[in-house]
Amino acid sequence: MSEFDSALKIFAQESEQLLLDMEGALLSLESDPDDSEMINSLFRAMHTIKGSSGLFGFNPIVAFTHEAESVLDKVRNNERAIDGELISVMLDSKDHTARLIEHCLSSPDQPLPDELTVASDALIKRLTGKQHTHIQAQATDTSQVHSEGGGNISIDDSWLISLDFRDNAFRNGMDPLSFIRYLKTLGEIKQILTFFPEMPHGEVMDPESCYLHFKIAFTSDASKQTIESVFEYAADDCDIKILPPNSKVNAYLQLLDSLDENHVSRLGEMLIQVGALTEHDVEHALKDQSDAQQDTAKPLGEILVEQQMVQKPVVEHALKKQEQTKQKVAAENSYIRVDADKLGHLINLVGELVISSAAMNLIVERHGLTDAGDVAASMNSLVSSIRDTALELRMVQIGETFSRFRRVVRDVSNELGKEIDLQISGGETELDKTVVEKINDPLMHLIRNSLDHGIESPAQRLAVGKPAQGIVQLNAYHESGHIVIQIADDGAGLDSDKIVEKAIANGIIKADHSLTQQEIYNLIFAAGLSTKAQATNLSGRGVGMDVVKKNIEALRGSVMIDSIPGEGTTISIQLPLTLAIIDGFMVGTEQVRYIIPLSMVDECIEMDSTESEINEIEHFINLRGHALPYLRLGEYFNTPKSNVVKKHESVVVVKFGQDRAGFVVDELHGEHQTVIKPLGKMFEKLKGITGATVLGDGNVALILDVQGLIEAAIGKRKRKPALLH
Amino acid sequence: MSKLIRKESSHHALASQEQVGQYLTFLVDKESFAISILDVKEIIEIANITHVPLTPDYIHGVINLRGNVVPVIDLSARLKHQCAEVSKRSCIVLVEVEMADSVQLIGMLVDEVREILEIPPDNIQPAPDFGTDIRTDFIQSMARVDEKFIILLAINKVLSLEELSQLGQITESSGSRIAESAD
Repeated sequence: MSEFDSALKIFAQESEQLLLDMEGALLSLESDPDDSEMINSLFRAMHTIKGSSGLFGFNPIVAFTHEAESVLDKVRNNERAIDGELISVMLDSKDHTARLIEHCLSSPDQPLPDELTVASDALIKRLTGKQHTHIQAQATDTSQVHSEGGGNISIDDSWLISLDFRDNAFRNGMDPLSFIRYLKTLGEIKQILTFFPEMPHGEVMDPESCYLHFKIAFTSDASKQTIESVFEYAADDCDIKILPPNSKVNAYLQLLDSLDENHVSRLGEMLIQVGALTEHDVEHALKDQSDAQQDTAKPLGEILVEQQMVQKPVVEHALKKQEQTKQKVAAENSYIRVDADKLGHLINLVGELVISSAAMNLIVERHGLTDAGDVAASMNSLVSSIRDTALELRMVQIGETFSRFRRVVRDVSNELGKEIDLQISGGETELDKTVVEKINDPLMHLIRNSLDHGIESPAQRLAVGKPAQGIVQLNAYHESGHIVIQIADDGAGLDSDKIVEKAIANGIIKADHSLTQQEIYNLIFAAGLSTKAQATNLSGRGVGMDVVKKNIEALRGSVMIDSIPGEGTTISIQLPLTLAIIDGFMVGTEQVRYIIPLSMVDECIEMDSTESEINEIEHFINLRGHALPYLRLGEYFNTPKSNVVKKHESVVVVKFGQDRAGFVVDELHGEHQTVIKPLGKMFEKLKGITGATVLGDGNVALILDVQGLIEAAIGKRKRKPALLH
Repeated sequence: MSKLIRKESSHHALASQEQVGQYLTFLVDKESFAISILDVKEIIEIANITHVPLTPDYIHGVINLRGNVVPVIDLSARLKHQCAEVSKRSCIVLVEVEMADSVQLIGMLVDEVREILEIPPDNIQPAPDFGTDIRTDFIQSMARVDEKFIILLAINKVLSLEELSQLGQITESSGSRIAESAD
């Protein structure tokens, strides 16, 4: 029974993934209806779900997915066109399939409730209702090669070589005859056709120009590569096309079959591998492809056939083989499903390992064990690579999270009657899975906000001279140990007057405020503030943005908002890459040690060096001509002064996003692998400290909240001049 | 005296009134206090404590307890507004405090751990409304032992996470005020 249960669990996971893929495929088909790969993946999704459901005896799912599958099969065979309507129906079918699966999993013995049956029937009707069956005209068969020179050459078991010499061939010292003679050494020339369609009349003709074209039927056992090498020197002055004999086609097909199935190769590579093409052919065809206009570019296979470099059946077979390999690779994919708890446990253990390795280093150092030092050093580097690898295990690309929003944008824009295009970039950016899971809701909220408040209706947009279709961009990239996620819209932007008005009305700020533009924008994260006059069911109730900010800050991240009235709003979320272990930089002041995340450290400088000069009155450090706000950590944290005589002070220059500041400390202890331990609820509201870590000697060191401290330093710098007046 | 008592049970329910309850007594600023032994998780000797800046006096700092970071409350500062002087006999009594749905382990810094007393329910009286120099809501009840009274502490009040984290906020502003005046 338990085995059956776990099989069911796998079925549930698999179907969820498949349906997710299906949704993605449908949405991308909307913009590119001819993408056969997407159609195939739709078909695969339905087919696999049908198959697995059959195994478990979930007949309602089988019945429904069967219909969807048949429709998709027709689409696949070009018997039915993909249009907006079909995509909508398929999206609904996808949702319906998910409901069916849910029902079957939760109450497998219950009959299907009436509403689901009715929905099934209705969808099946919509799916099969009207079928525009239009079969694409079969591509013409090109096995008969016709030459312009007249007369067809029989090429059944001969190579067909066409040589089109260019004007300059003679001038460059090429003699076509010598090539043809040399060709004879490789085999037998069955037939040769010479034609000169561009030959001009009488006096216009230049005797030094070459107007000759040849078609040669040639029998030989030599490979295509060898034959091509005959014309190697002529390559610059002659267009050479070598078509293998038809009898060779079967050999190529067999060779294609025997190709290694373990990795997907490109079409050109496969054809070169079996000898049907040479590298030169492929390069040439690829060049043609890239030269062609974007909208007229053809697939490589078509170009190759058109240029008579290879027979159509060979290309088709290679494509089929490629598809099979792809599927096989996809099926076998070198992924292992691992229980997230097990991974979490592993990462905890690695954390402990890091701490004990630090403890060992300390002891080796203290006792001056030089011979043990080497071993300790190599173990240390192993531990840090284990740490990196373990953390990488939990890294996932954010792309999947992003593409889920395609559906949201589509549905919401339909609902609001707006035209909105979602542009995604940076989907391959990786971050910790636990962070991804927790960022989903805040992102959803921000995107809905952009759709509802940001983008105007098409009429409003046209009125201010913008295109009717609004754009929402989702972008992700790495920046100094953080991931930045941006949500940008080209909508109306934030109305700062309205925000201020509302904030005063709600008592969030006082009427005689003196806030910067940035501070006003940040007000939208305050609880109970919504500038939208009317609340819709999407957003506008003023709850949410404060929750968004809280959720992001709980992940040790931050959110910033920037807006240009009339041009749009950009919201940037900064998140740490991982919540478990970081590279830290340890500093000490007044005998207390602190950790600064290494990724945020820019440089360390001596306080009294010529590079920098401290200005106590204006409260900044003159760092190579730039004013850098600073903070004496000991003073800021109000640590009791120790009696130890101070050595030189140092400044650690830290950065967060655009902001920089200097922390003045007494000692620099260097890099430290830092396992982040939460400080717990009691210190939740503590500013300046984000967490703690256990050092090698068993003591606890606190991890600094660089962002908060930089703000404090900048705030001080701002306040100071005012006090002087 | 590294580990005087170690109990695996994290059972919180007080011993029923009919039974004789066991209480751990300890000294804070020369005065005896007691808590139910069922609340005590572990008693450890004082280790290296890391002070956490910008926190009120009664948050003594954090310690490393087998790899976990645990906050330590200075009971003397919390009950009597006078910071404890750490001596050879000082101990940390670890207790578990519940807040909402999470459980937090907290250490209490005490001057000396005395003994475990069995106190019959008859000897336990409700807290007086006045006459003590500590906050009345910190007192769960009074126990009479050898003609002397010992205060039984209401742990959930003394170590109320809501209150501790809130007070952290109040002094945090005063902390930055001090920092400002310092420069």
